[in-house]
Amino acid sequence: MSAAAIHVRVRLPLARFALDVAFTSSARSLGVFGASGAGKTSLIEVLTGWRRPESGSARIGDTVLFDSGAGVALPIEARRIGYVPQDVLLWPHWSAGRNVRAGAARGGVDEELFARTVAILEIAQLLERPCTQLSGGERQRVALARALVSRPRLLLLDEPLGSLDLPLRRRILPYLIRVRAEFDVPTLYVSHDATEVQALCEEVVVLESGRVAAQGPPSEVLRRVRAGEPSYDNVLTGVVREVRGGTAALELTDGGRAFVPSRGVSVGAHAVFAIGSDEILIALDAPTRISARNVLPAVIEAVEASASGVRVDARLCVEGRGGSDETGDGTGARISASLTHAALDELALRPGQRAHLVFKTSACRVLSAAA
Amino acid sequence: MSAESSTAVVLWTTLRVAGAAGLLIAPLGIALGLVMARRSFPGKSIVETLVALPLVLPPTAIGYLLLVLFARGGWLGERALGFDPGVLFTWRAAVIASALVALPLVARTARSAFEAVDPRLELMARTTGMSRTQTLCAVTLPLARRGLLAAVALGFGRALGEFGATVIVAGNIPGRTQTLALAIFNEIQLGDTAAALRLVAITVAIAFALTWGIERLLRGGARVGA
Repeated sequence: MSAAAIHVRVRLPLARFALDVAFTSSARSLGVFGASGAGKTSLIEVLTGWRRPESGSARIGDTVLFDSGAGVALPIEARRIGYVPQDVLLWPHWSAGRNVRAGAARGGVDEELFARTVAILEIAQLLERPCTQLSGGERQRVALARALVSRPRLLLLDEPLGSLDLPLRRRILPYLIRVRAEFDVPTLYVSHDATEVQALCEEVVVLESGRVAAQGPPSEVLRRVRAGEPSYDNVLTGVVREVRGGTAALELTDGGRAFVPSRGVSVGAHAVFAIGSDEILIALDAPTRISARNVLPAVIEAVEASASGVRVDARLCVEGRGGSDETGDGTGARISASLTHAALDELALRPGQRAHLVFKTSACRVLSAAA
Repeated sequence: MSAESSTAVVLWTTLRVAGAAGLLIAPLGIALGLVMARRSFPGKSIVETLVALPLVLPPTAIGYLLLVLFARGGWLGERALGFDPGVLFTWRAAVIASALVALPLVARTARSAFEAVDPRLELMARTTGMSRTQTLCAVTLPLARRGLLAAVALGFGRALGEFGATVIVAGNIPGRTQTLALAIFNEIQLGDTAAALRLVAITVAIAFALTWGIERLLRGGARVGA
């Protein structure tokens, strides 16, 4: 990983509270997660130089963007930040192609990079179009291309899926995953969507009323942050090993197998899918003669009861990692399931217990399946 | 001199004066509009008031102030400059008078045109690496261009009809400073109703074409900005 570490310490009074955050991360894709109004966009605009912080400093690798103590503030045009704001801000008087090329105002267009970006984001057929005639998803991709051809030292994506409806999000997410895989640019990804953050980020900083409430791997941090909510999306990744009869068999990255719908999925693809915690059943004995394709042995790690229900965290058992084929050990992917208090009372679940997580193939939502 | 040729001379003088005034106030008015729309500085409201002042002042007052300014003993007169600037009662005086009266219209319309451009589009240009000047040329001016054209056309139109200030500093000299507005006044004074009506008809035709063009520019501009 060649990503430069990012150091941020910012104080900026806002209308209802003061943004007061400090974090350091060397993750190549860092999520900034928080409800709307938590100060996420303000933080981004401080990094781009669009807003002046009251005090603080920000550094990407060795480059100081600003440091109020030292009286340093790089001019906006010298920051080399690729920014895709929520409203994308394409220049309406130009074609899509001219917008993308203008992204390289600094040092001219690198034709090889331009061609690669256009290919990866599949916008070749859009380049001649006036950008006022692009759809929401097309605008996102063109704006992303503009940011990438500027050869940024940091990519800032502010709710890139926020303005899109659900089916469209499903179509744009794979592009974001592909950009993460193909371009070696540290990315700060702002979102209020826990599923997206899990699918895209190695690490997440959680903002609450302008302050850092938590930081760490998304699957752990967001599980905690979302503990009180009735449903939680488990986001899992894996490689497609087999496609048959509308079902794709995945070998999960953290070990274990799962079956997901095969629409748009081909063998060998890296798939990212989500399964809601309320779609998962817990069975203490392995159910037989059952229609659900996913019956995954797991070890229960934690049981948390709250007013809204019970959250059970379990880890999948991985075949061959100790134990028998049937059980294995509990070192695979972590999955949360939501239960009612009554179910918890009857099953008397406790950490360390072996169980089976059961869910239908069709309950899995494939977010991305790139070859 | 035949009626046709004297009308042609009046028309030529009018277009020459309004055209020169337009050329003078286009860059000045657009620059003032940009500063008022995008910059904040101490005393900004004073500058804004001064720029708007000619809109409210009677043109005759402006004409008189110019007369005093360019008179032999004035701040821009022969004694102060050490040479005769040769302004008073020439077509140059008519240009200066109509430019001054028309400037607020250009500046204020240009200001609205710049304010209609989302400043975040400019910030985005800077983020991709454009300097302030590049941003102005590549993003701000093209996006504001319809409004700016309308501003200049409006200024030209105002200069075309200027009377009060012009008559005081430039006089009403046929063939030199007599514009359409002054010629109409002249014909009415002389009681030549037909001649006055003919000049009024020409003025209406020019004004109609100009106003129609400006309306189209402004409405089109609103669509682009939306």
